Amino acid sequence: MLSRDEARALVDGIFEKSKSPEMSVGLRWQQECNTRFANNQITTAGFTSDLRLDISVTLGHKTGSTSTTETSDDGLTRAVRHAEDLAALTPEDPEYVVPLGPQSYPEIAAFNEATAGARSQQLLPALRSSIEAATREKLNASGFFDVTTVASAIANKRGLFGYTQRTWADYSVTARTEDGTGSGWADSQSPRLGEVDSARVSSTAVRKALDSQKPRRLDPGKYTVILEPAALDEMLMYMTWGMDARAAEEGRSFLSKRGGGTLLGEKVFGENITLRSDPFDSRVPGWPWSGELPAEKTTWVEKGVVKAMRRDRYWAEKTQTKPVPFPSNVIMEGGSSTLEELIASTQRGLLITHFWYIRFLQPDTVQLTGLTRDGTFLIEEGKIKYPVNNFRFNQSVVEMLKVVEDMTAPMPVNNDRLPAIRVRNFNMSSLSDAI
Amino acid sequence: MGAAAVGAVGMPEALGVGLRGGEGGVAARGSASGGEGGTPDPVFRPLTDAALETARLLGASYADIRIARYRDQSVFLRTQAEPGGTKIQHVPNVSDSESFGFGVRVLVNGTWGFAAGNKVERDEVARISREAVNVAKTNSALMRQPVELAPVTPAMDLYRTPFVKDPFAVSLAEKADFMRAINDAVMKTPKVFMAFSYISCRFEHKWFASTEGSYIEQYIQRVDPGYGATAVDRAQRKTRDRSFQIGPVTGGWEYVEAAQMLQSAQRVGDECVERLGAPPVKPGKKDLVLLPSHLLLTIHESLGHSTELDRALGYEANYAGTSFLTPDKLGKFRVGSDLVNIVGDRILPQGLSTCGYDDDGVKTMRFDIFKKGIFVDYQTIRDQAHLIGEKASHACCYADSYASIPFQRIPNVWLKPSEKQVSLDDLISGVDEGILIDGTGSWSIDQQRYNFQFGGDAFWEIKGGKKGQMIDRVAYQSRTPDFWQACDGIADQRFWQNFGLTGDGKGQPTQTNEMSHGSAPARFRQINVLLTE
Repeated sequence: MLSRDEARALVDGIFEKSKSPEMSVGLRWQQECNTRFANNQITTAGFTSDLRLDISVTLGHKTGSTSTTETSDDGLTRAVRHAEDLAALTPEDPEYVVPLGPQSYPEIAAFNEATAGARSQQLLPALRSSIEAATREKLNASGFFDVTTVASAIANKRGLFGYTQRTWADYSVTARTEDGTGSGWADSQSPRLGEVDSARVSSTAVRKALDSQKPRRLDPGKYTVILEPAALDEMLMYMTWGMDARAAEEGRSFLSKRGGGTLLGEKVFGENITLRSDPFDSRVPGWPWSGELPAEKTTWVEKGVVKAMRRDRYWAEKTQTKPVPFPSNVIMEGGSSTLEELIASTQRGLLITHFWYIRFLQPDTVQLTGLTRDGTFLIEEGKIKYPVNNFRFNQSVVEMLKVVEDMTAPMPVNNDRLPAIRVRNFNMSSLSDAI
Repeated sequence: MGAAAVGAVGMPEALGVGLRGGEGGVAARGSASGGEGGTPDPVFRPLTDAALETARLLGASYADIRIARYRDQSVFLRTQAEPGGTKIQHVPNVSDSESFGFGVRVLVNGTWGFAAGNKVERDEVARISREAVNVAKTNSALMRQPVELAPVTPAMDLYRTPFVKDPFAVSLAEKADFMRAINDAVMKTPKVFMAFSYISCRFEHKWFASTEGSYIEQYIQRVDPGYGATAVDRAQRKTRDRSFQIGPVTGGWEYVEAAQMLQSAQRVGDECVERLGAPPVKPGKKDLVLLPSHLLLTIHESLGHSTELDRALGYEANYAGTSFLTPDKLGKFRVGSDLVNIVGDRILPQGLSTCGYDDDGVKTMRFDIFKKGIFVDYQTIRDQAHLIGEKASHACCYADSYASIPFQRIPNVWLKPSEKQVSLDDLISGVDEGILIDGTGSWSIDQQRYNFQFGGDAFWEIKGGKKGQMIDRVAYQSRTPDFWQACDGIADQRFWQNFGLTGDGKGQPTQTNEMSHGSAPARFRQINVLLTE
C-alpha cells in the first residue's frame, strides 16, 4: 500500500524534474486478488500489484500527457522529459482551463484494512460453500470473487493535492441446471469484505436456477415488469452518463429541448422519480474528487424535475455557471414496498433478475436494447406462476421512468443504491432462446 | 451525392486500404521488415530464468512468464465552431503512454496460479513467482479435474509485425496537420456540427519463456486511424453521426497513407447531413445487402463468440455467457447456407490479432471453423483442447496486459469470398425490396449468441434491384442460424475487405481483445427490420 506521505514524496520528486510551472500528476497504486470458478471448480486466479503515474506538462495552452509504470528515478525522468516534449509538439487547446489551486477534498470512508490484506485463502470459503450448495442441487456453479485495493493521488504544481485509499470486494455466482434450461445469478459488493453476503449470493443463484428451469414460451409484447435493482442499474447508467450540460445545450442530448434550450427545471420523469449522488454513502462511497473538483452531494432529478446536469470546468466558464462534478454514484429514492409486496400487487407481469448486453438503439431518446437473463418469471394475480423464456427489449429509459408504479426501498447494487421498480408498458420486442 | 459513393466497386476509400484478396490473395508471411524468424534478444533471460526456476523449486509442474512493454499513443482532434460564435476551432487531446511489467503463470497440483508486478527486477520477479505458486497451492484445495496442457513444440524465436513506416516516428505535428485537414474538409458541408478524427498507435513488445524451453520475443505494431462527422437538428432534437469506414490493423503508417482518408472527407460530411434528414425505414421483412464494414460485427458476435471453446464448456457462464454451439454439434450442425465458409486465423497479414505465437507459446495458424455452413471446429488453447478430444491448440490464447491472465480469445475470424464471379451490383440487382448497410451502429446479442440486433452507420434503400435514397432509424433482428442460412449471395475476392475491431470484452476481471473480421459484401433474405424510436 502506498501511503499518503509516500505518494506525496513521489509526486514532489516528479515535480522537481521539470522547470515547467504547469504540471500535474495522477497516481494509482492497485492491488487485486481474485479467483474465478466454473463447472464447480476453480479455473483461474491471480494476485497482481501495479503502480501507474499519469504525468502532464503544460506550456501555454499546450498539454503533453504521458503515463508510466516505471517508477525508478530514471523511469520517472524519462516520463517527465517525454511529457515536456509532447507539450512542445501538441497543438494549442482552445478549450484549455487553468488548473485549480489547493482544494479541500472530503474524507470518504472507503477503505478497510482487513479487505486490503485479503489473499486467495480468504476467498476460498465462499467459493467452497457456493460450489457445495450447487453440487447438492445437481447444479453447475461458476462465479468470481474479486478484492481490489487502491491508493490514489492527484496533484499539481499550484499546490493541489488529494489522496485516497479504497477497497472493494465483489462476489457473483451463476448456477445452471444440468440440462441447460435453468440459470440463476446473484451478486454482492461492498468496500468491506466482511459485508459481502456470499451466503445470499449462493442461495439466490441456486434458487433462481431451480425456479427458472424448463421455461414456458411467452410471446413478445408490452408487459408490466418488475426490475430487480441490478436490472434497473444496468439500464439507468446509459441515461445518467448522458446528463451532460454541454451536450444538452448543444442540442445533442435527450435533455435538449426541441427548437433550442434544455429541459433543466422541467418535469421529464414521473413524480415519484428522484435521483441523487452522495459520495459519502458508506456502502457505495464515491471518490473524493471528479477531475480536480471536490466531490459533492448532487440532486439530479427531484420528483421528476431535472435539477442538475454535470458540467465540466470549461463549459462552466463558457456559460458563466458553476461546474458540476460527474456523478460518482447514483442513488434513486424508492418507495416503502418490499419485493414480495411488489409481486403480490401485480395482476400480470414479468419479474426480471437482470439484463445482458445493453446498448443504445436510439440515443436521442435513450432507447436501449438488451436481453433478460438468469431468471425471468411470469407473475399472475400476485404470484410468481412459472419461468418464461428470455426476451430482447427495445425500450427508452426516459419513457420507462414516466410510468413507474411502485418501488422498494433502495439497496446497494454495484456502486449505486437503487430500488426494485414496477413499470408499465415495457417493450419486449423479440423472444430470446438463450438460457 | 453521398450515396453514389457506394456502387459497383464497393466503398472506394476502403478498397485501397483493407487487405483484399481473401484466401487466395493473402500475402506470404514475413517480409524484409518483419514476420517470423530470427534470434530473440536474450536481455531478459536472467529474469525469466529466475521466475521459472523459483516456480519449479516450489513445485510447479509448468510455469511461464511474459515480460511486456506497451506504448499507446493517441491523437484526437475535435473541430467545431467556437461555442456561441462562428469561428471554427480545433480541440486536441494527445497522450503517449507506456507500461512495463511482467506476469507469471504456474501450474501446481494441477491448478493454475498467476501473479504480476511492474517492478521488472530479479528479486521482484522471484517474489511474484512465489505469489503465483501460493495462489495455485491455495486453490488446489478445490481442484476436481487437474489442468492438462496440449503439447507444444518449444520455440526460440523472434516475430515482428511487418511494416514499412514506424507510426511512432511520424511526428505529432504531421499527424495533427493531417487530421486538421480532414476535419476542415468534413466541416465544409454546411450543417455539419462537429468533425472528429483520431490516430492511435500501439506497440506491444513482449518476451515469453516457459519451463518447456520456449523463449520468444515478439514486437507487435498496430495503427488505428479514423474520423467522422456529427450533424444536429435542434428543431427535431435529433443528432446523427457518419464515420469514415476504416479499421485498425497490425502494420505501419503506410496503411494510413494509403487509406485516402482526406479524399473522402467531404463525402462523409455530406452523408452525415443526408442521414440527418433521411426518412425513417418502413419496418418489416426485407432483404439485406451488408458491406464488409458492417458484417465485421455480425460475424464477430454471432460466429466469433459462439465458437469459443471456453464459452461452450461453461467457463464464461458467470459473465460473457455460454454458446448454443455445444460440443455435440461439432462436425454436423448447420449454421449457415452452403456459401458460408469461415476461418480462424492469426497469420492473416494486417489482421489485428496476427502475431507469431500466442500467449501459450503456440505457433499461430489458420484453421476452418465453418465449412459449407457446417460447424467444424472451435477456437482453442492449450488447457482446453483435450476436453473435446483435440491433440493441439489453435493458438487462440491472449492476455491484454502483463498483469492479465492469458485465456482463450477470438482470433481473426473471416468469411471466405465467393469462388464464382459475383459483384456488389449483382447482389443488389437481385433485391426487389431491401436495404444496403454500411458500418456499425447499435449492436447486441444474447449470452448464448442466438438473438442479435444490429444497427449501422448508414443505410440506403434498395428498390427493384437498384440502390436508392438514404434511409434512417434502421435496426435488424435475427437468430444466428436463421440469419446465416438466409445468406444466398457473397461477392467475390475483388470485394473482400478486412476490418479490425477493438474493445472486445470477456473474462473476469474483464479483458479486452482485438481482432479482424474480413468479408466480401453478402446478401441475406427476408430479415426482420425494425424502426428505432
